[in-house]
Amino acid sequence: MNNPYLPLLATIQSIKPETYDTSTFTVQIDEAEARKTFAYRPGQFLEVSIFGAGEAPFCIASNAYGRDTLDITVRRIGRVTKALHDLGVGGQIGLRGPLGNWFPLEEVAGKHLLFIAGGLGLAPLRPQIYETYRQRAKFASVTVLCGARTQGDLVYLDELTQWQTQEGMSCHLTVDVATDGWAGNVGVVGTLLPQVKWPAQEGVAFVCGPPIMIKFVVQDLERMGFTGETIFTTLEQHMRCGIGKCNHCMMGDKYVCLDGPVFTYAQLQRIPEFHT
Amino acid sequence: MAEIATTCPYCGCGCGLYLHVADGQVTGVTPSRSHPVSQGRLCLKGWHAHELMDNPTRLTKPLVRRDGELREASWEEAREAVRAGLQQALAQGGSHSIGILGSARCANEDNYVLARFARGVLGTPNLDCSLRTGEPLTSGEIGDLDRSDLIVLVCNDPNEEHPAVSARIYRARQRSAGLIVISTRRHALARLADVHLSLRPGAEGHTLAGLTRLIVDSTEADGEIEAVRRSVPAISPEEVEKAAGVPAEELRRAARRYLESAQVTLVYSSALTLSPSATAAVSALADLSALARAQVGPQVSLLALASRNNLQGSLDMGVSPDMLPGYASLEDDTAAGRLTGVWGDGLCHEQGLSAWQMLGQVRALYVMGDDLLRAAADPGAVQEALSGLDFLVVQDLFLGPVARLAHVVLPAAAFGERDGTFTSLEGRVQRVRQAVPPPGEAREDWRIIAEVSAALGRPMSYQSSEDVFSEIADLIPIYQGLNYHALETPGGVRWPGRAAEAAALFAWQGAPQPVTLNGAGPQVTEQYPMLLLADPTLGPWDEETTIASTLTVSVEFALVGKDYPSGMLCLNPEDAKRLGLRSGRNARVTSSRGEGTMRVQVTEEAPPGIALTPWWQAARLGLLETVACPDTDRPVLGPTPVAVAPA
Amino acid sequence: MTSRLLVHGKVDEFVGRLLKSAEVIAPHRTPGGDLLYASVDTAADVSWDPGIPMESLKRFLMPQRETILQFSKNGKMSVSAVYDDKPKVFLAARCCDVTGVSVLDAMFGGTYQDPYYLMRRGQSTFIALTCQQPDTNCFCVCGDAGPFLKKGYDQQWTWLPEGMLVEIGSEQGQRLADAHADLLVPAELEHIKRRHQLAKEAEGRFGDFRAYVAGAMRKLSMEEVESEVWEQLADHCVDCGGCAFLCPTCSCFTTTDRFDGAEGIRERHWDACSYSCYAREASGHNPRAHRKTRLHARFFHKLSHQWAQRNARHACVCCGRCLTTCLAWAHMPAAAEAIRRGAMK
Repeated sequence: MNNPYLPLLATIQSIKPETYDTSTFTVQIDEAEARKTFAYRPGQFLEVSIFGAGEAPFCIASNAYGRDTLDITVRRIGRVTKALHDLGVGGQIGLRGPLGNWFPLEEVAGKHLLFIAGGLGLAPLRPQIYETYRQRAKFASVTVLCGARTQGDLVYLDELTQWQTQEGMSCHLTVDVATDGWAGNVGVVGTLLPQVKWPAQEGVAFVCGPPIMIKFVVQDLERMGFTGETIFTTLEQHMRCGIGKCNHCMMGDKYVCLDGPVFTYAQLQRIPEFHT
Repeated sequence: MAEIATTCPYCGCGCGLYLHVADGQVTGVTPSRSHPVSQGRLCLKGWHAHELMDNPTRLTKPLVRRDGELREASWEEAREAVRAGLQQALAQGGSHSIGILGSARCANEDNYVLARFARGVLGTPNLDCSLRTGEPLTSGEIGDLDRSDLIVLVCNDPNEEHPAVSARIYRARQRSAGLIVISTRRHALARLADVHLSLRPGAEGHTLAGLTRLIVDSTEADGEIEAVRRSVPAISPEEVEKAAGVPAEELRRAARRYLESAQVTLVYSSALTLSPSATAAVSALADLSALARAQVGPQVSLLALASRNNLQGSLDMGVSPDMLPGYASLEDDTAAGRLTGVWGDGLCHEQGLSAWQMLGQVRALYVMGDDLLRAAADPGAVQEALSGLDFLVVQDLFLGPVARLAHVVLPAAAFGERDGTFTSLEGRVQRVRQAVPPPGEAREDWRIIAEVSAALGRPMSYQSSEDVFSEIADLIPIYQGLNYHALETPGGVRWPGRAAEAAALFAWQGAPQPVTLNGAGPQVTEQYPMLLLADPTLGPWDEETTIASTLTVSVEFALVGKDYPSGMLCLNPEDAKRLGLRSGRNARVTSSRGEGTMRVQVTEEAPPGIALTPWWQAARLGLLETVACPDTDRPVLGPTPVAVAPA
Repeated sequence: MTSRLLVHGKVDEFVGRLLKSAEVIAPHRTPGGDLLYASVDTAADVSWDPGIPMESLKRFLMPQRETILQFSKNGKMSVSAVYDDKPKVFLAARCCDVTGVSVLDAMFGGTYQDPYYLMRRGQSTFIALTCQQPDTNCFCVCGDAGPFLKKGYDQQWTWLPEGMLVEIGSEQGQRLADAHADLLVPAELEHIKRRHQLAKEAEGRFGDFRAYVAGAMRKLSMEEVESEVWEQLADHCVDCGGCAFLCPTCSCFTTTDRFDGAEGIRERHWDACSYSCYAREASGHNPRAHRKTRLHARFFHKLSHQWAQRNARHACVCCGRCLTTCLAWAHMPAAAEAIRRGAMK
């Protein structure tokens, strides 16, 4: 019987600090055959083991396709994430996945795609942004709006900067509070929405960030004409098994690890327990 | 798989449970339904009691401090270090320069042998336990709650402190028994009560005196109750309202409800005895009991809830500076002779220092299973005193905060790894049974002491826990006739109902106790317009070493510490609004003793004008007044006027 | 699959034979007087007394604490799993508990298969014993889980004056009967009739005690329960977790690791959704910080149509253990009544 609790072994190849407490870990599955057959869709996540500390879920945040490594972007905040940060390059971890559902890119062909991220919320959107750019011709346009508390809290800043001038997509950044040298927009990420010039009925929005940010952005989007079916989000929830057994991520009648983590806003509103 | 019947090692209720053993590991716990206390129930702690065993953070080897670090050592080395340390203390300062701390959670066998070691071998009377709070022994039983048509909770919160008692209260409510809650915090049971007397902290004595006075005044009979009439101050409900903030009409309503009842159980815990007006309050309760004897008002059962699994037992075994084992007086030559006959010469039957007096007065301290720092009102000062000792030995399960300061640390066996007995708050002597062997080189606490005693030239001949218990039964009259076989029945044997000596111990409850009212607690001022209460019923188990070391449920008990690291400040919504504070915001709290930052939780549980914080967090703040508890001179935290503002 | 009869004198012999080839788990009376399911060594250890064992069968299929992974590092890191596939016979299991197993099957099977549970389950045979006398807190008649089952067992035994009626409910049950055919005789029509008569009589013995579970199910599923109901129930709960641990269908767990650099394990432990930290994230965000939200989540999971569709059936077998073990008053009958009655003024 296949054991879905058994992790694959992987090794940390490189670590890139993104902010003072967040880094991107590039890991590679040790066993060559498993590495070759590992395939994921943007939106899915991994259960990552730091042996001895425990296991925690992280969205796959990779920025490339066809690579044989995986990226996770992790904030140092609890026992498992602290242990990961303490490991260093060459450190060995366990991986289970890919788990969960994914952003349904096929269903939104021809649409204008709007990615809205707050802080670390950019991590789960990153693979999708790259995937849509790779298949750019299938979509009407690609717009990225990204905000954080300060400049120092933006992740993938080098990529964001590059996207601002990248042909075929538009990217706008904002911070809540301007710090030294910031010449861009100041205000919450919703203040960037006027940058969207196309009709909402022809678009689909993917929103990810802190719960309070999602709440206000969704209000703005609905005013613009987006509906519950055209707004997608990805949820973060305390998980243990990641495969719908331990019940920790249960929300209403859903498991975030099986039925999500990607949900339309309409789905969330139908969950009896869901309150923004 | 085997199921081993045993007793819970946490609170004083003494619930019965089974430990499951498979492949040499304790894999889980099942409550006992036939047990008279648990009746098929366990609390969150009991359900995880198996996590004390097969726990990677347990002490498994002796540790001896060398070059400033605690390092693993053999038992020989460790015993030699203990021998040398104690003998040096004896040579330099004499036996009275040594202090011994016994345990409210170790077994009777352990405490008994420790008492023998202290008074019989070392010759020191400085023997105590940090959790001794001087509350009188309970004469009531938990089962009295089932037979009562009125239950009165006096300043305790069983939901937090004694959940098996809560179960009886909720079930009593299902059959429409009455509930009166007297407390500051408006906890769940207070909200469900028929009458909640929400009082200012410090006014417990006034409130109880006021209630008792109304009961006394309900009759014009004389005779026996004259003595009670004289013992209880003539305080009116209006005066109680002034002192305690309890509306006069509510006090009258409570008295009426009381007089309508046939059978009342009065319930209290160390939460009452830790308050500055404890003596007055407890005396008033005794007077209510005396009135009942004189046929005034309902029949009364007085249920004092000892906090821990073997606090009662530690007192029975004489872990106290002011009595001999079995509650024999220090002047009781017969009792002393009996002990000398078995223990040998050199028995010290003098008055000793209490745990709190010892700090700063003894040079060497031997600690068995006692969490002195956690019981301290000023842990910083206690830590300093411990660090200043010439010699500190700690015998325990985990390397807790006191053990980390020790010169020698000795690994002890947990409740599931040895045989023994605990005596619950009801005086129920119950078995714990070995399910698995102790890890590494850990062993029973009594065995560790016996081996140390042998190293000092005074061997003890016990081969097993049962041997020790057999001696206890011989020498301690209230345990006479007990043996492991007699304790086989679920629920063990309750000693209070058995022996004539027990009746003598409870005589105080029949006799009227004078109630002396001092001030009703500090008054607020313009500068410090709110009262801050260190609430012992809020999170009493949070971050306690044996809980903090469990594998899973430690997380649950660490939440307040995590979410409110500098202290949780519970504020009533009106006060919060007035002060411009919301849940999660930081507040600056100032008293005449100092200033601190705490994080706010807005809750209806805090009455207007009174801020609450868990006792264990308050101890670290340095903001509250400390008062000495009259019966044990244990420093306790008194309610303190403060000013609260956004930080 | 025709029913058989195991005459009285042969019951112990049958049990003795079972013991030769499997671990036999049956109700057992402890010296202290508790009735528990336990692994028995001899037929004499089996208790045939009426009454509900303190716990369900869950502990034997998913222990309160078990090692799921072993870590070892000898230069190279390696991770492996250990399984228990010893054959087990659950003898005289209560019908409610056997029904509970079917819910656990749905939980641990499905898209992802839990090998620890499924291997034990795969090696297990369930012989249910019908209840002719309910225990004090039983209400299985409200949950389609007893006192006599129509299906869902390998064998179902019923005490008759003549002996034990053995109903066969599966191929596994048939194989077991065939293997010991020499001890069994065919059941007569009168035995079957008696069994149905006893079932009716047993149902009648539940008296007035009902838990209105059906009404609660509908209101929960339709979100017609006011939030005050949960607030009031919250004052009657102390978060002990007992209901989750004793419930035959609760299967929440948490995991802990230990690793000294050379050897280590990952364990899983029973967990309870009533605990404040249950849904709390590392960031401190806690979607169910308030007890009323946890109670709502618990009863929604147990009773809603939405969850009943995902699992084999709704997740309350009405065994009454939560009532026995509740330290306050927030068990299933209390919740069902509160939901039906609505908020109290």
